Amino acid sequence: MKLDNRVRDKLAGFAFILPALLVVGLLLLYPVVSSVFFSFTSKHLIKPAYEFIWFDNYIKILTDPDFWAAFLTSVKWTIASLAGQILTGFTAALALERIRRGKGAYRTLLIIPWAFPSIVIALSWKWILNGVSGFLPNFLVKLGLCETAPQFFSSGGLVFPTLVFINVWFGAPLIMVNVLSALQTVPKDQYEAAQLDGATPWQSFIHITLPHIRVVVGLLVVLRTIWVFNNFDTIYLITGGGPANLTQTVPIYAYNVGWGLKQLGRSSAVTVLLLIFLLIVCMFYFKILDKWEKEGA
Amino acid sequence: MKKAMKRTLSLLLAGILLVSLLAACGGGNGGQSNPPPASNPPASAPGGSGASGGGTDAPAPLEGEITFWHSFTQGPRLETIQAAADAFVAENPGVKITIETFSWADFYTKWTTGLASGNVPDMSTALPNHVVEMIDADAIIPMDNLIDSMGRDRFYEAPLTEMTAEDGSCYAVPLYSHAQVMWYHQSLLDKYDLEVPTTWDELYDAAKKISGGEGGNAFGTSVPMGTNDMMATRFLNFYVRSAGETLLTADGKANLTSQAAIDGINYWIKVYKDCSPTDSLNFNVLDQATLYYTGKICFDFNSAFQIGGVETNAPELLDQIDCAPMPTINKGDPQVGYETSNIPMVIWKNSAHPEVCEAFIKYLYRPENYVPFLLSVPVGMLPALKEIAEDPAFLSDPTVQKFTHAKDVISKAVGEGTAIGMESGPRPEAGLLTSQGVIESMFQDIIINNTPVEQAAKAAEDKLNDLFETLG
Repeated sequence: MKLDNRVRDKLAGFAFILPALLVVGLLLLYPVVSSVFFSFTSKHLIKPAYEFIWFDNYIKILTDPDFWAAFLTSVKWTIASLAGQILTGFTAALALERIRRGKGAYRTLLIIPWAFPSIVIALSWKWILNGVSGFLPNFLVKLGLCETAPQFFSSGGLVFPTLVFINVWFGAPLIMVNVLSALQTVPKDQYEAAQLDGATPWQSFIHITLPHIRVVVGLLVVLRTIWVFNNFDTIYLITGGGPANLTQTVPIYAYNVGWGLKQLGRSSAVTVLLLIFLLIVCMFYFKILDKWEKEGA
Repeated sequence: MKKAMKRTLSLLLAGILLVSLLAACGGGNGGQSNPPPASNPPASAPGGSGASGGGTDAPAPLEGEITFWHSFTQGPRLETIQAAADAFVAENPGVKITIETFSWADFYTKWTTGLASGNVPDMSTALPNHVVEMIDADAIIPMDNLIDSMGRDRFYEAPLTEMTAEDGSCYAVPLYSHAQVMWYHQSLLDKYDLEVPTTWDELYDAAKKISGGEGGNAFGTSVPMGTNDMMATRFLNFYVRSAGETLLTADGKANLTSQAAIDGINYWIKVYKDCSPTDSLNFNVLDQATLYYTGKICFDFNSAFQIGGVETNAPELLDQIDCAPMPTINKGDPQVGYETSNIPMVIWKNSAHPEVCEAFIKYLYRPENYVPFLLSVPVGMLPALKEIAEDPAFLSDPTVQKFTHAKDVISKAVGEGTAIGMESGPRPEAGLLTSQGVIESMFQDIIINNTPVEQAAKAAEDKLNDLFETLG
């Protein structure tokens, strides 16, 4: 029996992508399935035996005030960081687009923070903002702007905004580069037509620029929401979640449960809850993106 | 089609999320089985050309490949261990030793995650709290035979007791010891016409005078409270121990509401507010030590590793530093508030060649290997063997001679203290007491939120006791 050409082509195509599907499938499925499975067990990091405990882990987490405090901090952290990154990245992109000379050099300079590993960023900022010998606190005192060196990492009122600032500094370049690329796809004749019709720069921005780039920005928001919400290293390396748990986010909470207490089952339950929450957020985002795409079509 | 793509994308993102989170949380292996069956504890210390100090009556050629994990990541310590391993292999051609080095934090991650999959070494160094967890996880073998064959009375008693489990077996052999004592910069004391404090109140007065006089350029002391370290627990333990109390009761309960603990918390809060840099609220051990290395604080509590730190960071200050016994509550009280660290070596149950490990450990204690190892951090690492403490080769080192007073203070302290929470023997609760940042969070809560001390102490005590229940 001879196979139809179309079926044969489909099979060949499937055979070509099968290895990639298998690798990706295993890499994604194994952790997801094992995490969900362990979330229903008393799995311990170094004790081999464990038992099935159904929803005990979830009940313990959802009745733990520390979890809810960490969740609230994560939400605040994500919203503040994302808003700062988009605002800064957007502004930098709009400014860069107007530069005629040296655009490449500026773009390279502005992308530098993104190229740094987290450990370098954390240690550099810890050094710059150190309340005893840090450059910035002492500089502010020398300028006469502060009487005593501001304590960026130990003041209850300053530590969270300081971390958000560092995250904005780190994340804005990615937004900038992507928005800049999107801006270059906006047809120039539309601006010219708008100008002839007497539109102000603000009106051009709202009615021409934004509709063209909002899908790109929307996708960036989706990705950055996931990354920022899951961000662990920056906060952990700088404050460890302190002082007084003011900067403890859900990933740090999960880490403390998983590594500190070695309760891998409970830690897995935290990650599953986080997954559910982020899926809901993503679905909400995708609904909006869908709507925008339909409007643009 | 687009909807389907988006659904796929959202699933992909969800997968990435979990992969990244699990990477942070270290997913377990899916099996329920124990690590591969370990060999029985060696019945006797082997001989071999590398063995020394007893037990050499049945020399048999040693054969086998072992992996040795240690945490001596700095140059000189790393080199002396490697040199000893090379010499041992040269004497025992049938042996191969693979050395892998990790920081203490990485080491902990490696063995805890590797245990389930059998990916642990044949022998390793360990921290006292690690040993307790290793015993609890049935991961290491008793070393009494090795200790007896080397001569039990050659070792100091306290470190052996600290590593002896409830079953009466000693699971680790001490490699070196050090203790936390009070370090100071003499130049700052001279500048303010101060004597070395001997009580906590004197320390507070001296530190306050210096902090007040320096106007932010330097401080009397610093009270480190960062939650990613155990420094506040350590400082509270100094005070509580000096009052004859402990942070863990004999039956393994947290003890933060005793009068001594409440007084200690109040004391360190007072010192923090009046004498310490505000930023020390988030300090870890390195942040704290760096201030001492560079002369930014007069008093600090640490081991003689301070000497190397000052030598590296501000060698011009080396003549100005020294240490003193731990302050006491009242003048003339016996000094008992010491925290000691007896860093041991252990042999893992997974090892296929425990006899090679034992022979190599014996070889490391030979004076020609052991003394250079100890002198790679002079005074910082004090001998675990009594006779080495009197060995001219050890005592004639210039740094040891220069810091003879410090060595004597620390040597005395080593004999009088224990690791935090191990006053009644090795307990797994001691690990949680120091690793969870509960006491650090308690201090931060009092300072940031103005929570009353008694209320914060009770909450922290309850939290610790809840955590202890996870030990099962």
